[in-house]
Amino acid sequence: MNLRTLARFPLLALAMLSLLAGVLGGLARLAVDVPAPASAQAGVHGALMIAAFFGTVISLERAVALGRFWPYLAPALAGLGGLTLLGGLPTIAAQWLFVGGGLTLLAGSVVVLQRQIVLFTVVLALGAASWLIGNLVWLATGLVQAAIPWWLGFLVLTIAGERLELTRFLPARPAAAPLFVASVVILLAGALASHWTEGAGLRVFACGLLALSAWLLRYDIARHNARQRGLTRFIAICLLAGYVWLAIGALLGIVGNFVPDAAMRDAALHAIVLGFVFSMVFGHAPIIFPAVAKVRIPYHPVFYLPLIVLHASLALRVLGNGSDDFVWRQQGALANAFALLLFIVTMVTSVVRGRRQHPGSRTGPRGDTR
Amino acid sequence: MATPSASVPDVESVRAILRQVIDPEVGVNIVDLGLVYRIDVSAGQVLIEMTMTSPACPMGDMIMDDINAAVEAALPEDIPVVVQLVWEPPWNPGMMNEAAREHFGWQRDR
Repeated sequence: MNLRTLARFPLLALAMLSLLAGVLGGLARLAVDVPAPASAQAGVHGALMIAAFFGTVISLERAVALGRFWPYLAPALAGLGGLTLLGGLPTIAAQWLFVGGGLTLLAGSVVVLQRQIVLFTVVLALGAASWLIGNLVWLATGLVQAAIPWWLGFLVLTIAGERLELTRFLPARPAAAPLFVASVVILLAGALASHWTEGAGLRVFACGLLALSAWLLRYDIARHNARQRGLTRFIAICLLAGYVWLAIGALLGIVGNFVPDAAMRDAALHAIVLGFVFSMVFGHAPIIFPAVAKVRIPYHPVFYLPLIVLHASLALRVLGNGSDDFVWRQQGALANAFALLLFIVTMVTSVVRGRRQHPGSRTGPRGDTR
Repeated sequence: MATPSASVPDVESVRAILRQVIDPEVGVNIVDLGLVYRIDVSAGQVLIEMTMTSPACPMGDMIMDDINAAVEAALPEDIPVVVQLVWEPPWNPGMMNEAAREHFGWQRDR
C-alpha cells in the first residue's frame, strides 16, 4: 500500500470525527441529552456536517480520482478544520482551514477541467467554487446561515454534475442540457441574491433546487437502473428516493422555509441534506468506499435496512416539524442518527464479509457481488 | 525453457476475461461500455489500456485492480499484466458496442 493510500485512513478518521460531533451537536439543538463536549458543537452543526464532513470526503474522493499528492491537502485542511472546531480553538482558525480546503478542491477541479472541458466538469468546478464561496462568506460574516445556500450548492452541484455525466449512457435528449444549465443558473443566482435580499434570494435558490430535482427525476439514468438488479438497482433506488426529498426540501424553501427562524427550516434543510445527500451516500458508499480505502464491500439486500430507516425517520421528523409536534421531530432526528449508525455498522460488517469471501485480497472480479 | 510469448493468450480471450469486470453504477461490463481502448499481447505480456467516463471518478484504481485480478485468475502466473489508465481520447457514447447501446435503449442503426 503506497503513501497516498495510507494517507487516506487518517483523513477518513477525521471525516468520521466531524460526522460524529456534527450529528451529536445537531441532536443537542433538539434538546437531546448528549455529552457536554458534543453539545458545545450545537452552534456549528452545519459547519461540521457540510464544510468539515462532506468537505473532507468529497475532496478526498476527488484527490483519489486525480491520483496526485497535492489534492490530498484539501481533505487534510477540511478535516483539520473540523478538528479545530472540536478542540474549541478560535472559530477563525477553522474558517481559514476550510477556505484553504475549498481553494485546493477548486484547483483540483481545474485539473479535471484541463483533462476534459464539458458541461459536467464545469458543474463539478462550480460545486467546488460554491464550497469555497460558502467558506469565505462564513469567514467574512461569522454567520453559518449566510453560508448555507453556498454549502447546499456545493453538495447539490457536485452530485448533479456526477449524475449529468452518467446520462451520457442514455440516448441523447436535446432539451436535457439547456434545462440543466437553466436550473444551475437559477440556483446560483438565488444564492448570490440572498446576500442582498435574503428572503427573495433563498426562494429563487429553492426554485433552482426544484428545477434540478425535476431534471434528475426526468433525465437521470437512475430510473433505468432501478429496473436492473443487485447493487445497481440499490444505488438507483437510493437516488430516486433522494430526488423526491430534494423536491420536498425545495418546495419548503420556495414557501419561505430557508430563512432563519422559519417554522419548517429544520424540515427544509434536512430533507435536502439527509433525504437527498445522505441517501446518495448510502447508495454510493459500497463503490466509493472500496475505491478510497481498498477494501471490498460486497452487495447484500440488508443495505436496504438503513435506507428504509433513514427515509421513514426523516418523514417522521418532517411531519413532526409540520404539525408542530416537537416529540415527533426530536424522535425523528434521533432515528435519523440511528439510521446513520446502522448504515456504518452495515458497511463495516460488509467489509468483514468481503474479507472472508476473498481472504488476503480485496480484489477480484466484481461480477460476483451482485 | 519455455518462451513467455508461447503461452500469451490472444486478444479476444483477454477481452472475454475483461467482460467479467462490471461498472457497478450501471451494471454493464467495461468492454461493452467501450472503456477498454487497447489490448496488446505482442511483447510477451498482456497490455491493457482503458479509460473512465469521467476524470473526476475515483474508481479508476479499483477497476484496474479488478482487471488485474480477473486477468491473473484466468491466465498462467508467469504472464505479466500491465493495466494503464489513459484519458485520450476522452470517452464518448459512440464507443459503446451494440449490446450496451441496446441495454440503455438506443435505437439500432444510428
